[in-house]
Amino acid sequence: MGSKIAGKKHSPAGKIIVWVVLSIMAVIQIFPLVWLVDFSLASSNEMFTSGLLVMPKKIQWGNYAKAFVDGHFLLYLKNSIIINGLAVLLVLIISIMAAFAVHRMRWKLSGFVKTLLLLGMMIPIHATLLPNYKLYNTLNITDTCWALLIPYVAFSLPQALYLMTGFLDSVPIELEEAAVMDGCGIYRIVFQVVIPLLKPSIATVSIMTFLNNWNEFMMARTYLSSPKWKTLPFSVLEFTGQYSSNYAVQFAVMALTAAPAVIVYIILNKHITKGVAMGAVKG
Amino acid sequence: MRKKLIATMMAAVMTAGLITGCGSDGGKTTSGGGSSSKGGNETITLKLFSNLPDRKNGQGLVEQKIIDEYMEANKNIKIEVEALDEEAYKTKFKAYAMDDMPDVVSIWGQPSFLDEVLAAGTLAELNESDYSDYKFVEGSLEGFKKNGSLYGLPRNTDIAVFYYNEKMFNDNGWTVPETYDDLLSLSDKINDAGITPVAMDGGDGWPMAIYLTDLAFRIEGPAVADKINEAVAKGDFTDEVFSDATSLLVKSAKAGLFQKGYDSQDYGTAMNLFTNGQAAMFYMGTWESSMATNEDIPKDIRENIRVFVMPSVSGGTAKNTDLAAWNGGGYAVSQGCQNKEEAIKFLNYMYQPDKLSKYGWENGVGLSAQDQTSYTTGNETELQKQIMSLLTNATSMSGTPINDCGPSAFKTVIESEIQNVSNGTTSIDDFLLTIGKSCQ
Repeated sequence: MGSKIAGKKHSPAGKIIVWVVLSIMAVIQIFPLVWLVDFSLASSNEMFTSGLLVMPKKIQWGNYAKAFVDGHFLLYLKNSIIINGLAVLLVLIISIMAAFAVHRMRWKLSGFVKTLLLLGMMIPIHATLLPNYKLYNTLNITDTCWALLIPYVAFSLPQALYLMTGFLDSVPIELEEAAVMDGCGIYRIVFQVVIPLLKPSIATVSIMTFLNNWNEFMMARTYLSSPKWKTLPFSVLEFTGQYSSNYAVQFAVMALTAAPAVIVYIILNKHITKGVAMGAVKG
Repeated sequence: MRKKLIATMMAAVMTAGLITGCGSDGGKTTSGGGSSSKGGNETITLKLFSNLPDRKNGQGLVEQKIIDEYMEANKNIKIEVEALDEEAYKTKFKAYAMDDMPDVVSIWGQPSFLDEVLAAGTLAELNESDYSDYKFVEGSLEGFKKNGSLYGLPRNTDIAVFYYNEKMFNDNGWTVPETYDDLLSLSDKINDAGITPVAMDGGDGWPMAIYLTDLAFRIEGPAVADKINEAVAKGDFTDEVFSDATSLLVKSAKAGLFQKGYDSQDYGTAMNLFTNGQAAMFYMGTWESSMATNEDIPKDIRENIRVFVMPSVSGGTAKNTDLAAWNGGGYAVSQGCQNKEEAIKFLNYMYQPDKLSKYGWENGVGLSAQDQTSYTTGNETELQKQIMSLLTNATSMSGTPINDCGPSAFKTVIESEIQNVSNGTTSIDDFLLTIGKSCQ
């Protein structure tokens, strides 16, 4: 779409340049995926040949079979989907309400609360690992889904709030005033007037929260110990040896792990590009 | 009015959280209830925290096999394994050290790891006399002791060796080097033939630190362990042995002993250079002796893998039978665990000579820290036999490699700085100064 708009404005030469640049960008973006799938079908030994891509002598579908069975793929996928789904949902609900509260409602501490929530962006995950572990252990929630859900929501919230407040600016306040005139309560304003208008930002926030947490491993490995709630990144670990690893199967696991994320991105792609652009202008 | 609004908003957020959370909570309790009802009331659950995530190959397979056997023999014991790779393992170990340490844990009998752990009082003391008939190799328990008390048991004996491709050597008329100068001139010949002399995992830092220890050991002989400990304690590496060993390493790297880009290539890459026949030698520990039976490696390479130890250095005092060897990894029982007695029972079961040691030998995962000579069947690979004879003829062992002799900060610094000094980015003096500073 971008090239079409550019093409109208520029001469044919400009059009070619745009195409070339976009093609290069596309190759840079798509190549890692091709590479991932290519290596996931080779044997571990073939990987170390000097070429960029390998032509497997025999296509090793067995890598995927191993990834599924030995990597406990389905269990971890289920856990990942539950935890990520809930995290996205919670982040959306909290960030929309919080954005409305600190941005549209007038109260003494609204500015302070907003800053306080946004400050969360500056806290590095590493600094919280051990204290959180201690806290969760005292609360007896290590090795439960809460141990992941709470930090995932907490760490995604500042960014989500930031985006949501940006978007909220683009919603004309007159609409809310009209709604109040017609007798809307505060909840109907939020749920029936504001939320439908925030659709692109909801897509943006969901996709960002989802992608960030989908690959998260550091917190997962610290707060979880039994397989019950382990998420997908643990699957890769099942093939890590003491010194060297079964790389080919790890590639297969990574291809399988990446697939849902890629699919989610493709589905919400239209919204996210629109969402980010709009947020940029209005925020 | 405004207050009321805020209150209702907050209440709404909370209930929303509760409602969505409830679904997951319900799922959790039912699955938890299922697993506890299975075992009945008498079941004792032991938690094993392991650094071997791959349970289907190598050492991880051996460990899992023993666990399965133990659970089969003791129906009332359930062993839950949590396994992470080494780096993640060490991070999580710190978290566990604060609270809730699993019953049986993997440890390293090296100051860089053990000093901090013992200072925190995390591990339970073991009774050394219990192990008198476990056939531990003499001196192998030393690294796991503090003030005369034993806190863990070693799993392996690791020897640093040059693996070489005997067929390639014979075809080209190359011979196993007797001295370090021979090795360097051999390296020139191999380079001329268009082959990489030694595949080196320089990306990780620790293999080169072992190489450096090996060189220092060749120069100084068995006394080097004391020199290293002294240097670490004082934070002063000005002793000649360190600068001599480092300059030998730098000289070798400059002369093209290692593959191109060795300082950024990792374990798998280096090993595959050797197993694909692109390199004539591979410097690594004896735990890789299972290369000889690995079906993924071409037959004419895997059957021709042999080893030699670091050749003697001119002016050095070490003999050829002095080995750069140490007992690194092992197991321990945590101090605060509820089922300490059962945990120690399981630990002792693992170390019965016909368990870890025998299965390890059969699976070719390297040498154990116990006497394995009684398990030889005659069906071993040439490589296994050769490594066994290295150990039986050993006159002394170097002990822990230098990178694991100091605090963890020292380990981090030396493993990254050794890359810079070997490729000439930093000078030898700066290198020795920097690693000295990191000890303080």
